[in-house]
Amino acid sequence: MSRHVELVESAFDPLMCLAAFSGGLEDEGAIVSFTGRARGASRDGHLVQALMLEKYRGVTLSSMQAIVDDACRRFRITRCHVVHRAGRVLPGEPIVFVATASPHRRSAFEATDYLMDRLKTDAVFWKREEHAGGFAWIEPTARDRSDQARWLQCDSEETCPESMKA
Amino acid sequence: MVADCTRVELCGRLADPCGPLLDLPIPADGMRVADLISILGERFPPLQHLLADQRVRACINEAVVANDMLVRPGDLVALFPPVSGG
Repeated sequence: MSRHVELVESAFDPLMCLAAFSGGLEDEGAIVSFTGRARGASRDGHLVQALMLEKYRGVTLSSMQAIVDDACRRFRITRCHVVHRAGRVLPGEPIVFVATASPHRRSAFEATDYLMDRLKTDAVFWKREEHAGGFAWIEPTARDRSDQARWLQCDSEETCPESMKA
Repeated sequence: MVADCTRVELCGRLADPCGPLLDLPIPADGMRVADLISILGERFPPLQHLLADQRVRACINEAVVANDMLVRPGDLVALFPPVSGG
């Protein structure tokens, strides 16, 4: 199992991340990647000038590593690569890059989905949107929480996809 | 017992009313996290309503701890409001 977890404080290029990730593959049959970008509008439609992602010392990176560890235990993936921005992010800039690889596609799809759901709710960040009139702190939405809760529910249900029972 | 000042870092929205760094005297034999939160609220009234949120967590030396943990002088102390995720 190979894993790479990185917290960066300046803009990064997800295509370079994907190239680096893909270059290290062996006999995997599937790669799934996801890139999250800062939006230029808030959920209520206001223009956003920037998104500030506040981290705390080593705790933020440790929280990301714990989430990746959980994903690696839970799914049949062979490689995992996570890069997350901290600091001031402008609209259109990438915030997060996640890639996983597995022998067959289902595990990589599910692991990437799981990683994003966990990062969106459990990673130690505090986010605020900056707009012309000031700023607003952002908390996970009800949808973010229900997305994350799917995986908890799945732990005890017979309907869990096969790849998650590994 | 002589009390040394310890710097408490406030994260996220907790930093809005009084800034991100506050100094608080901590007795040499320590102080429970719950007491630290309560005393900070008394000393800095604009913070009181934010610290009243039961979801606020303390982080001592980069580990999130329970409210009955002891903070000792020299510890690296931070208070976390609920995280927003990435």
